[in-house]
Amino acid sequence: MSVAQRENELQKWYLPGILGGLGITMKHMVKNLLNKKKMITLNYPEEKYEYSPRFKGNHVLTVKKDGSLRCTACMLCATNCPAECISITASEHEDPTVEKYPIKYEIDILRCVFCGYCEEACPVDAVRMGPEWQTPGLSGANFKYNIEHLAYRPQLKGGIQSVLDDEERHKAGI
Amino acid sequence: MPKCTINGKEIEVKEGTTIIEAMYSNDQKIAHYCWHPGLSVAGVCRLCMCEIEGNPRLQIACNTVITEGMKVNNTSEKVRDAAKWGLDFHLINHPLDCPICDQAGECGLQDQYMEFGKYDPEMAERKQKKHKVVDLGPTVVLDSERCILCSRCVRFTDEVTKTSELGIFNRGDKSEIGTHDGKPLDNKYSLNTVDICPVGALTSKDFRFRQRVWYLKDQETVCNGCSTGCNVKAYFNKEGFYRVKPQHNAEVNGYWMCDEGRDVYKYVNREARWLKAQKRTSAGWEEMLPGAAAKDASSVVKANASGTALVLTGQYSSEEYESVLKTFTQELGTKKVFHWVNNSSSFDSFDGLLLRGDRNPNTKGLLTAMEKFGLPASKWADLEAGLANGSITTVVVAGPENQVWFPEMKQVIQTLSKAKNLIWMQTGKNAELESLSGNVWLIPMKSYVEKDGTFVNYKGLAQKFKKVTTVVSEALNLSEAAQLLAGQNLMIKPETSVLVETARPADRVMQEHRKKNEFVMKRGTL
Ligand code: SF4
Ligand code: SF4
Ligand code: SF4
Ligand code: SF4
Ligand code: FES
Repeated sequence: MSVAQRENELQKWYLPGILGGLGITMKHMVKNLLNKKKMITLNYPEEKYEYSPRFKGNHVLTVKKDGSLRCTACMLCATNCPAECISITASEHEDPTVEKYPIKYEIDILRCVFCGYCEEACPVDAVRMGPEWQTPGLSGANFKYNIEHLAYRPQLKGGIQSVLDDEERHKAGI
Repeated sequence: MPKCTINGKEIEVKEGTTIIEAMYSNDQKIAHYCWHPGLSVAGVCRLCMCEIEGNPRLQIACNTVITEGMKVNNTSEKVRDAAKWGLDFHLINHPLDCPICDQAGECGLQDQYMEFGKYDPEMAERKQKKHKVVDLGPTVVLDSERCILCSRCVRFTDEVTKTSELGIFNRGDKSEIGTHDGKPLDNKYSLNTVDICPVGALTSKDFRFRQRVWYLKDQETVCNGCSTGCNVKAYFNKEGFYRVKPQHNAEVNGYWMCDEGRDVYKYVNREARWLKAQKRTSAGWEEMLPGAAAKDASSVVKANASGTALVLTGQYSSEEYESVLKTFTQELGTKKVFHWVNNSSSFDSFDGLLLRGDRNPNTKGLLTAMEKFGLPASKWADLEAGLANGSITTVVVAGPENQVWFPEMKQVIQTLSKAKNLIWMQTGKNAELESLSGNVWLIPMKSYVEKDGTFVNYKGLAQKFKKVTTVVSEALNLSEAAQLLAGQNLMIKPETSVLVETARPADRVMQEHRKKNEFVMKRGTL
């Protein structure tokens, strides 16, 4: 790494730099003390930052109107995933209009690089990247998210509904 | 012998050759759905258009016979445009459910769309709805919406199996493939219809939804299901083998293979295999590495060399027979070699197409090797008598891979377990063998996909095959096992198995369920 050094006369003296820096620190301290609302730091665990809705956090599997999984087990997300952390086992569904569905859908979240390619690949809006990112766990096993967690974890309050509806699609003749 | 020019290349063809045949045998690319080299010409898909000089309109290549001096071209803009519109028509009512379609990745529609299509659909009309998940029979599921009515499957049942179960019913855009009332698609070659279906309309119940095709690797090999020795491609990935498809060989199997041969992969996968050797004595049993077990058993074989009998099945390669017979006759000096003939009542039967009653890939190779070493065709009764009068004390068995085709397995195990020492070498698990006590060694062998070798088929055609992959890394082949049994030291290079253990949750829906969606064409009901 190369370091650019600007050698002017003032920098050769130690004190002007130090005092300048302290001045900036003092300025902010006084500003923050006088106007606490504008302070940019957060008291983290108590206060949380609101990320934009486009934030790519932990995955969510969406559900249909009846609460069943939207995913068709096409494996396009698993194919697209650069970290190869999605593993799916497909099976035949009893309902012939559904045909194929996953009996296992697992994301190894420790391997995931949160690129969002899975979300992009999904043809039926079945996997999304949600807003959560604070996900502590006690052992490695806690980071293999299964269907139960991805679609029905308590935070999702019964599941996030997909925008795509089969019935409407069929009515439109697609 | 007419001469013609195809895409600027001059070729000479046999009298009566069609343009598509000439292109096919000269590695020229041409889009086609309904034409199949093993079936008659239908000319219904209209995708194989080509331009013939002097002819104002495009012609279909599959039904145009080459004449002297014909100049054919299928790369011009006009042809590409025709193919594009032909494809557009095929896709008018197509459901485009590639995400849940097993054919995706090897689908004719996808391939040609990438080649000629890449347009935005211009149809504003609603799609024609048809039957989905139709149970055609014990092996095949139909999705009528995906069908492009190329009629390959219908021609296959008409011309190859001559069972005529399938037909096209109704007219126009309501046409559907179907079976007749009370006559499901149920013949010994039904799964070939799945192979030749250019789209995902016909899917195999066995393979359905098990794996995406782009996760599978393939490798050519020879089927070990019967003495015909069909050329096949085995499809596998790191979780095991998933399916087998036929590979063209005009001398052996043409374009087809039987349904039973497609089940062979199941006996190769880890779930069905012995992974470790077992030594079972009256005091209990212990697990060993295969090589160590063979070495361990060599003490009893060498001590009773004259009382050792070798029982061979026709399931191993010629090279292995050669080596095992050499070791036994020359090193150990025993002449007691027996040929275990399985399902003897139907051994010589033939179903007229491919499948033979001799369910061993290499009976011929075994007999040739035995002859070469001057071994008389010893009778099974001699073995039984030898066991009874005590002249045979040790039996070494090279057991079968496909145990389902050895219906007498149980009796044979009972008979042979009378021997003082029994050394049983085989690929797959067997409950009876694993419950024996006394001096028994069970040694896992390599299956046919894990070794190189030669199978000699019923008519004496020797077919070489190459190793596909490693499933059980420590398993031995017959040559190695024989040398170890004869007390020789052997350097066995450990092979790394590429297969991993997988836990597969149980399917909720069984095949019973599909019968509910059964759609059988009854005349006048649609
Ligand atoms: S975000 Fe990227 S790395 Fe993570 S599962 Fe999706 S595709 Fe894979
Ligand atoms: S989440 Fe989407 S892309 Fe992944 S398997 Fe399910 S339907 Fe396919
Ligand atoms: S038949 Fe081909 S194009 Fe049609 S859904 Fe299946 S893969 Fe897609
Ligand atoms: S089911 Fe397949 S092979 Fe049969 S007509 Fe339809 S597309 Fe052709
Ligand atoms: S291949 Fe020629 S019309 Fe179908």
